[in-house]
Amino acid sequence: MKHFTLPVSPKTVHWGYFSKKVAPALTLRSGDRATIETLTHHANDDYERMIQGDPGAESVFQWTREHKAVARRGSGPVEGPFIRGAGEGIGVHLLTGPVAIEGAEPGDILEVRILDVRPRPSCSACHAGRCFGSNVAANWGFHYHDLIEEPKPREVVTIFELDTSGEPYAKAVYNYVWTPQTDPDGIVHPTIDYPGVRVDHATIRKRENILTSVKVPARLHFGTMGLAPSEADFVSSIPPSYTGGNIDDWRIGKGARMFYPVAVPGAYFSVGDPHAAQGDSELGGTAIETSLTGDFEFILHKKADLAGTHLEGLDHPMLETDQAWSFYGFTYPNYLTALGADAQTEIANHSSLDQAMRDAFRKLRRFLMTVHHLSEDEAISLLSVGADFGVTQVVDANWGVHGTLRKNIFRCD
Amino acid sequence: MTDQSHLRPVATTDDPVRVARRLLRSTAIWVDPMSFRPFTSESYAQDDRPEAWRDVLAAVGLRPAAVHAFDGHATASHRQTAGVALTRMAAGAQGIAPLVQTNEDLPIALMPLEDGMVLKSGHGHRIVPVGHLVLLPRSGDWSIVFQRDMRAIVLAVTSEALHGRLSGKPRLGEPRVVPPGGFADVFARLLDATARTLDNLGDAEWNAIALSLVDLLLTLAHQLAASAPDAGSSATQAALLHRICQTIERRLDDPDLAPARVAQAEGISERYLQKLFETVGDNFTHYVRERRLQRAWADLSNPAEAHRSISEIAYAYGFGDSAHFSRAFRHRFGLPPREFRQQEAERATSQHGVPGQRGWPQEALAQLRAHPPGADARGSAACAGTIAPSTGERSHHHLPVEASRVHWGYFSRSLAPQIEIASGDTITIETLTQHASDDPELMIAGDAGAESVFGWTAARKNVDRRGAGPMDASVFGRGAGEGFGVHICTGPVAVKDAQPGDVLEVRILDIVPRASRHPTHAGRVFGSSVAAWWGYHYSEFLGGPKPREVVTIYEIFDDEQMPHARALYSYRWAPQTDPFGVAHPTYDYPGIPVAPGTVKRRHAVLDGIRIPLRPHFGVIAVAPREVDFVDSVPPSYFGGNLDNWRLGKGSTVYLPVSVPGALLSVGDPHATQGDGELSGTAIECSMTGTFEVILHKKADLAGRPFADLSYPLIETETDWVLTGFSHPNYLAEFGAQGQSEVYAKSSLDLAMKDAFRKMRRFLMNVKGLSEDEAIALMSAAVDFGVTQVVDGNWGVHAIVSKRLFQDAI
Repeated sequence: MKHFTLPVSPKTVHWGYFSKKVAPALTLRSGDRATIETLTHHANDDYERMIQGDPGAESVFQWTREHKAVARRGSGPVEGPFIRGAGEGIGVHLLTGPVAIEGAEPGDILEVRILDVRPRPSCSACHAGRCFGSNVAANWGFHYHDLIEEPKPREVVTIFELDTSGEPYAKAVYNYVWTPQTDPDGIVHPTIDYPGVRVDHATIRKRENILTSVKVPARLHFGTMGLAPSEADFVSSIPPSYTGGNIDDWRIGKGARMFYPVAVPGAYFSVGDPHAAQGDSELGGTAIETSLTGDFEFILHKKADLAGTHLEGLDHPMLETDQAWSFYGFTYPNYLTALGADAQTEIANHSSLDQAMRDAFRKLRRFLMTVHHLSEDEAISLLSVGADFGVTQVVDANWGVHGTLRKNIFRCD
Repeated sequence: MTDQSHLRPVATTDDPVRVARRLLRSTAIWVDPMSFRPFTSESYAQDDRPEAWRDVLAAVGLRPAAVHAFDGHATASHRQTAGVALTRMAAGAQGIAPLVQTNEDLPIALMPLEDGMVLKSGHGHRIVPVGHLVLLPRSGDWSIVFQRDMRAIVLAVTSEALHGRLSGKPRLGEPRVVPPGGFADVFARLLDATARTLDNLGDAEWNAIALSLVDLLLTLAHQLAASAPDAGSSATQAALLHRICQTIERRLDDPDLAPARVAQAEGISERYLQKLFETVGDNFTHYVRERRLQRAWADLSNPAEAHRSISEIAYAYGFGDSAHFSRAFRHRFGLPPREFRQQEAERATSQHGVPGQRGWPQEALAQLRAHPPGADARGSAACAGTIAPSTGERSHHHLPVEASRVHWGYFSRSLAPQIEIASGDTITIETLTQHASDDPELMIAGDAGAESVFGWTAARKNVDRRGAGPMDASVFGRGAGEGFGVHICTGPVAVKDAQPGDVLEVRILDIVPRASRHPTHAGRVFGSSVAAWWGYHYSEFLGGPKPREVVTIYEIFDDEQMPHARALYSYRWAPQTDPFGVAHPTYDYPGIPVAPGTVKRRHAVLDGIRIPLRPHFGVIAVAPREVDFVDSVPPSYFGGNLDNWRLGKGSTVYLPVSVPGALLSVGDPHATQGDGELSGTAIECSMTGTFEVILHKKADLAGRPFADLSYPLIETETDWVLTGFSHPNYLAEFGAQGQSEVYAKSSLDLAMKDAFRKMRRFLMNVKGLSEDEAIALMSAAVDFGVTQVVDGNWGVHAIVSKRLFQDAI
């Protein structure tokens, strides 16, 4: 067993997409461990608190008229002229990796254990050692067309501080309404339409004393974790799908074991979109987006060895914790094959919890029948009386409903 | 020529910029705000609702009339494009008038749905029936009063939509009513069809339709402006005849309705009366008969009325003899009334195409006549049970279960209370699961209370009505009440001094399962779970036979370490014949005793699986105000079939009181259930609950977490749980159609929206946050989950932990 370290730098991140074409940042073997740094793509909402003085973050976010350290952001076109920028922001998450697993082949299952998760403290002179995050009520939020106060619509950024001295919690510092921002290439962003644009704090009005008596219990986790899909070379990081990705379930934190179907040789695991806390549904469009570092262990389960285990027949992401199994239903379990050439953007026109619920039901039924050898009638009775369905997210185009089975159901004398 | 380039498909191209533009256009993530806007009063605090509603009306050139302003429940769908605004609205009784604007614009088109309205203008009052279009000038001295509910489609077009076309502005001095037929019919149908799909139309589709609507409106307005208004004596005659017809309409129930009496009431001669009818080619006797048959026809397809039998309906329209009615009906409509009712039901079910829709069949619904709450039976209802001694001390009461103490499958504001208690009293209420009959030996035999409620022989059925359907089962023939609603509810319990606007706090102090009293099984506890035809899975079985219903009988173990349930055996539903001889091919009527010999028991099911208990009551309700008999299946603002397992021991539910006395009922006891209740039922297990009931008077609600409550609010030791539904008040939203539509139109997406709006309101009004703070908090710390997808009105709940606010003062 080896332990590797993967820091963030322009060479170890890819921004806004999963890709089987990106050269691996690290290659390791089944059983190996790695400490992986991740950055939130919302760090520029408050440059001073979340980037300044942090060599890794500064190098990744560097963008001047002359030099943009990570040019491509999203799976869109990389040849100008651009509407928003290279990659066109079709996909937004800063992902560290990919990590290639030796010997991984399509049909295998990759197990990823999260051994630990730590926040990334600020390096800025004024805030050193303290941890910050940003929550954005954005144009892709569930609330956006249903606001009751003026001005309508509006996007609002709330900066939180994470307190880890005791039971960790987050507290709001201030918020501001998004104003049009001009990036170093001269493109104006009237809404939050391209990731990593530094917000000029001279253009915004900070409102302090907000959420004054509210403490948000921390739920450190990674919003986006998954493998490269086989269907396209560059795949938007926004919609989650059969190889995982932007699942946005806060249960994917310390102690979690995620299982992903391998779609391309080497598996190509990437991780990012770190969150300090999120509610089921991620209603406003984002969590409390906070740079985190994780310790991971990777175990490859070969296709030939899956029969008779709880991984038999698995063709979608699955979570195991100490207490429960969770299964992720999506509007489209594999939107890339379901929606054709324009799938990566077309998916946003089809978002539906109703379809996601149906998908979750089918995935749980399959698990109970395949793995626990229940009849269909037994499985359906058990799903009604012993399984809990919840809303994972309603903001990632391919909406999610998760179904959870408590492990103590199966423990029997 | 109008520029329609936006309708052309984008050519396929490799040009990266074009590709990007195409991609960006097709993504809803970053497109411009859609032109569609939903509105619901649920988003707003009580005080803010009139203002919010004013905005909705203003968007189509209207304003609330000075009298009859409105502040109740309202929903609307609104969509607009340059100069064209279309709104479909549903709200309570109110008056509207023009928002005085420039007279340049085209008249407003308004069409009432479901109920007529009264148009007041310089020409006096006019009743405008359903489906008639009204063209209204943008200004002037007119108003419209919706005396029952306001359900209407409004199209408002401004000159912006004409793009400088020289159309000439048709000027209407007065509002004009256009009866259906010909061109107006085409216009009305397009309006109606468009209004129904406002939220689903693509932008290009909507723009194209909007153009057509403008053209149609222009044409119609010109036609009307050109035609000369009626004048002279014919108008006077028409007005008199109209008034006479109104009188007849009010007296259709009078078997002795004769021309002489009507003429006398109007102060004219009988001869003149007949002459008036001759001017429209009719005569009095024929007209009255026709109206009676038409009204009966409507009622026979209207569930809100059809809890009455056919002969009751006949009687209500002046037919003293039901055989005579039957002949007359058949002569007029070609079918006897009973066959007609069944045919309507079947046609509706097959047309609708939703497999296994519960409740009232769609399309078999006509209009609803709402009785004001408390005006009829409630007012004189005497307590059937004991009245608590008014000692001023807090009392404890006990409500045992037996046939006379339950109502089965419905809620009703007209039920006589079983007992009246005072605020602060505690009460123990025994409840039975309606699924006890799945194994009568284990769950009914030897239990006097259960035997009384389930008692049913060829000669006698102790609780006849099961459901909100007609007593003569003339819709499907399943049995009295038709099983439109299934839960055995114990109660109602009246709470002293409770009035509409108050909040009833129901604390669940304890829940105890009801053990078997059969000699062989005494002391053991059993429950049943049915994977039924209304289950979420029912449309997509993997293996055969398809479809099928499966009953699983569970035993409940009060194990100290982990109280749990284990499956005993299961069986597939086989057609059962009830004691009255009616066959039930599916689980379509509650409480049919399953005879052991008719089903094949399978043992060793769910072997090795223990399901942790979550004892709770699926149904806790106060009586709804809207209609008399309400199906117990869809939950709504009054509580009801919430099916949320968090309503267990130690929890509290706050319910908005809608009728005097509140009328609390409890039932549908569950040993455990998962979020979703996927197969259609929980582990249904008879249980006894002890409750503390506290009345919060309307005047004292300010500043409390349950102030301005319009939905069931659950409080647990650690959390606030807000209940969202596909249709937060489906009775008000859909009116007469409610008890059917709610089954057809449920969706988790809608329920999620409702849960979001309720949580935003809670955080803003109760916790004092701004909208921006509330949304940030919902994203970071509020958990949304699926409550159930099987109760017609699907549920999503929103949970906010009290921990978040523990530092608050």
